[in-house]
This record gives sequence, C-alpha cells and structure tokens, in this order.
Amino acid sequence: MVQNHRREDHETGGENKEKRPKFFINDHVDILIEILERLDGRSLCVAASVCRLWCTIARNDSLWEKLCFRHVSPPPSSVRSVVLALGGYKRLYTGCVRPVRSRLGRVRRASWARDEVQLSLSLFCVDYYERLGGSNSNGRLVEKSSPSSLMFLCKPVNV
Amino acid sequence: MLRYDSTSSSAGSSSGSLSSSSSSSKPPQQDIDGLLAGAGYKVRSSELRQVAQRLERLETAMGNSPADFSQLASDAILYNPSDLACWVDSLLTEFAEPPPTCSSDFIVDPVNNQTVVNSAWTTAEPHTPQVHQNITYDEQQSLDNQLTVVTAMEEDSGIRLVHMLMTCAECVQSGDLSLATSLIGDMQGLLTHVNTVCGIGKVAGHFIDALSRRIFQGMGGGSVNGGSAFENEILHHHFYEACPYLKFAHFTANQAILEAFDGHDCVHVVDFNLMHGLQWPALIQALALRPGGPPLLRLTGIGPPSPDGRDSLREIGLRLAELARSVNVRFAFRGVAASRLEDVKPWMLQVNPKEAVAVNSIMQLHRLLGSEQTRNSPIDTVLSWIRGLNPKIMTVVEQEANHNQPGFLDRFTEALYYYSTMFDSLEACRVQPEKALAEIYIQREIGNVVSCEGSARVERHEPLAKWRRRLSGAGFRALHLGSNAFKQASMLLTLFSAEGYSVEENEGCLSLGWHSRPLIAASAWQAVPAWDNHMSSS
Repeated sequence: MVQNHRREDHETGGENKEKRPKFFINDHVDILIEILERLDGRSLCVAASVCRLWCTIARNDSLWEKLCFRHVSPPPSSVRSVVLALGGYKRLYTGCVRPVRSRLGRVRRASWARDEVQLSLSLFCVDYYERLGGSNSNGRLVEKSSPSSLMFLCKPVNV
Repeated sequence: MLRYDSTSSSAGSSSGSLSSSSSSSKPPQQDIDGLLAGAGYKVRSSELRQVAQRLERLETAMGNSPADFSQLASDAILYNPSDLACWVDSLLTEFAEPPPTCSSDFIVDPVNNQTVVNSAWTTAEPHTPQVHQNITYDEQQSLDNQLTVVTAMEEDSGIRLVHMLMTCAECVQSGDLSLATSLIGDMQGLLTHVNTVCGIGKVAGHFIDALSRRIFQGMGGGSVNGGSAFENEILHHHFYEACPYLKFAHFTANQAILEAFDGHDCVHVVDFNLMHGLQWPALIQALALRPGGPPLLRLTGIGPPSPDGRDSLREIGLRLAELARSVNVRFAFRGVAASRLEDVKPWMLQVNPKEAVAVNSIMQLHRLLGSEQTRNSPIDTVLSWIRGLNPKIMTVVEQEANHNQPGFLDRFTEALYYYSTMFDSLEACRVQPEKALAEIYIQREIGNVVSCEGSARVERHEPLAKWRRRLSGAGFRALHLGSNAFKQASMLLTLFSAEGYSVEENEGCLSLGWHSRPLIAASAWQAVPAWDNHMSSS
C-alpha cells in the first residue's frame, strides 16, 4: 500500500524532471499512523521490523487498542486504564483477543463482538494475576515459571 | 467367503477331525488341511489362521479400493490359486497393502482364549490412528479397518472389565471379600491386555485401585486425601488449567455476583474455598469497569490452615490486593483458616450489616453432608448461618452426580459412569503436565468416593434436583442465572478446542456436560425473608 503511495507521487511529480520530489512516508508520520492502524495484527507485527520509526509506531499501544475494538463500539474511558494496568493492549490482543476471535470465528454471531472483548479482558486479567504470582513468588506459592491459564487458547501445535 | 473362527479350539478341531477323512483319499502332504483340499485348495493347517486373516483383509481392501478390478484380471500376475496362502498374498500386494507385519500381532493365546494385542498399538481409537504416520491413503484406510478390528476386541475386554468391576462391587457390598479379592486379581490381569493410556482401561485402573484399597484396609478406609493442602492446591490448579469445569464455575458465579451487586457501594464476598484465588481477578476487573465505578470490595477467603508457619491465605490476599490496586478498586482481604467448613462461625466473617454479601461455594457444600440425616447435621447448621447473613446471592456449584447413595453398588455404578465421562472429556486436553496432574486430582476423588466411609468420605456429591429441594427447604429461593451467563459460558466452551462440551439451561441453572451428560451444575440462591419462610415451611 505504501509502495503505491510512493509511486503515485513519483508519477505526478515526474512531469517536472528538474525538481525530483522526494516523498518518504516516514516524513509524514500522521499518514503513516493512519495506514498502520488499519492493518491486522500480524501485519502490524511485521511492520514493526521495517525500520526504527515504524517499530516505534507499531509498538504504540493505541494502535493495538484500535485493533482490539475494531468492529466494536468504543468502550468507556475506564477500560483503558484497566488494560494498561494489566499489561497493555498489544498483550491483550496477541494473548487473548486474537485467539478468542479466531476460535469463535466459526460460530460467531454479530452480537457477540463486544462479549468477545469482555471475555478476552477477563481471561487477560486472570493471566495478569498468574504473572503476578510468578514475579513475587516466595518460592513455594507458584510452582510454574510461566503462567498457563491461557494455554488452552494456544493452537495445539504450539503446545 | 470362508470365515474362520479365531479361536484355537475350532481350528484345531477342524484339522484334527479331518485327518482321518483325508487319509482315505489322496496321500496327504504334510499337514495340508483336508477340508480345503477337498475343495481344491492347498493350505497348511498351521497357516489356517493367518490365511483367514489375510482373506479378511483382502476383502476389506477390495471393498475400499478405488481400483478397477478388471485391471487385476488382465495385468496382475497371480500365482497358482490353489496355493491359497500365496495367492492371497499376491493379491494383497496388488492392493498396495503394507507387508503383513500386523498379522503377527494378532496372536491367539491358546491358554486364555483371548487376543493379545501388540503394544505397538498404543492408541486404538478408530478416529485417530496415530501409529503409522507416513503411509498412503489406501494403506491408511485398510489400517483404519484393522484398527476397528482391534478396537472391537479391545471393547470386548473393556466390557468384560466393566462387568467384573460391577461384580466385584456387588461382592464388596454383600461382604464376600474373598471373591472380591480374587476378582481384583483377575481384573489386574485383564488390565494388561487393555490399553490403559486412554479409554475404559485408564478409568478402570483407578477404580480397581480404589476397590482394592477398600477391601484391604477394612471399612475405615485409608485417608485418600492424605495429601497436604499445598499438594491439593497444585492439583486443583492443574485441574483448572486442563479442563473447563472450574473456569465455567468461576465465570458463571462471577456473572451472577456481578449482577447481584449492581447498585451497591459496599460489597462483601465470602469464598468457601479460596485455593489460589483464581476466581477473583475476573470479578475485580469486572467491578472496576462497571458503569458508575467500582465499589469497595471485601473478600473473605476460607481455606485450610497451612503448616510450617506459612500463611498461604494471606499471600493470596496480598496478590489479589495488588491486582485490585492496579485497577483502582478499593479492596480488603480477610483470611479464615479452618480445616472443615462446619468449624467456621459467622462471627469470624465479620460481615457488616450495611454491605451486600455474596456467598460463593464451589464444590464445598457436599462435604458437609453426612450419610445420616440427623437434625443438626453440619449442612443444616451452615445453611442456617448463611441465611442469617442475609446474602444478596449465594452461588452454588456442585458436581452433577449421585455419589451419596447409601448402597455401595449404586454409588459405585454411578461413579463409574460419571468419571468415565469426565476422563473422556479430559482426553481432549493437550497441555501437559496439566493433564496428568488433573487426572491425579480426579483419581483422588474416585478414591474417596469408592474406598472411604463415614467421616473420611467427603466427596458426597448430590445432583442438582436434590440440592434444589435441600436449599428450598432451608429457606432459599432460586435466582435465574440469566442469558448473559449462558452466553458467556457458551463462548468459554467454544474456546476449548474440544468439541464435546455442552451447556444446558435448566430452570435458571446452568450445567456443563460432555456429550449431553451433565457433569457440573451452577445455580444461584437468595435467602427468603424470615416471615415468608414460616408460611411456606411444612
């Protein structure tokens, strides 16, 4: 998509051969953000490895927030502080929202979109709680090194 | 189609009885079967069994093969058809059958008259033949058919095991311990012939262990739950991870509690069995996000006292407090250490009369049931002080099974079916070591139901209908769980990769089951005001 953008500008500017306009998308961060926030999760992760600027932008949690609430009406403002406290939207998306959406995709009904996010949020919270135990365990309380309450969301291949 | 019975006796008799007839006709070659020789085929008696099996395989291969038979007639090189063994082999190779390495596995044991299956067949499910993974589709199909032959024989042994288990339980009930002991020995022998990795063999193994423990330790029963509280917590946690029953319980109860707390600013939850407190993060998060802001949440967690000075209740409380602080929910925790639920007194909970109280019991109430129905049994005491707290809601989740019947055989039969279904559902779990530890958790339950008696038997599960009667009689009325809870439960189950779980709604209560056998039921209750109870009690 970005390539087309560059090419179009090149064509329009190509008539005037003396002045060769240099259009770099990286100079127009606002356009870049507009484009990146329409990507799906996987593409967004891939975009993070293009260059440092893209990496910074793609890691910005607000992009992932938009991804989580795509197709869902905007949530109340209190949600953001909770999600950030529990680990951020990127983690919420990759750990919970994406597997929940893909698993429920088969039997999905349109009215479930908001409930999917709510369920993902609950599972996310349990996962945070387990991670909490791992970080300040006194040795005996949590015996696992990695929390596994979300393991059932992993594809069987990964397990 | 010639069919041979795969028992040694009939094969032996057919060759034995015919040797006399064959001697009168042509001079017999060494042990050629006389009956077939009369029909024009030369088969050695010692090979009769293998030829029969290969003929069966050929039949199924022909049935399954998409190949055109006319090709066989024109292109195939067939050896002398009167030499039946070689002829069958050559036809089998035409159908690209794998070399008959499998036929040697079907060894008929002449002593026991049973079929010993090679241990290479580790999974005998016809749906997932995982043994040979790099063979062609045709071979796979014929192997599937062979696997169904294997499973037919295994099912036979499985059915025999179940019958023997019932007989043994009957002997135990009637007191015939010597016969019971010998049956135990027979069953353990039969177990070696059955696949114990999955299916009936695995469950049967646990039941045989429990029965033998019951027989050899007398009616007192060993304390099966001899494990420490710490061990129990770990097993409980793995059971939580491996299958959806506890998750279903937690999410459904939380939804009901959330709806009951609507509009209240001071709320108090009493948890009858805190364990690792895995139920509460989701409730704290939901309260944090509820419209109007979170209330002041107090949580009182009841749990067994921990040895060696470690205060596990307090540690869980601290973790939950940290979570609550992160999401800006005012939170207070109190731990009540009690080894039995009936030891808890209401004053220990320090309930404030102005706050909305929720009582949460996940698989705890059945422990209070005794076998005798006395006036002041522990269950009545506890239910009456719960009622005295006047909770906004009491969430009760219990196993949907009748394991508290007085007759041992009935209890045993019910437990066998219940836990077989539960183990079946566990097969779908792919995470290890969660699955193995979850099995140990279930195994302990089985041991308690089968081998313990009196006060040692705490797993006294009763079905939802009985709990309804009991709770209604104690002054509670049922609250409907609502469509939100049902929707959430359905979504949760869809997330589990197994396609066998089902949620059912039953007069406002939700139950989760495996293939339409309900295994766990969740319900919500509210205390009826006192004057109402006087009018409705009998």
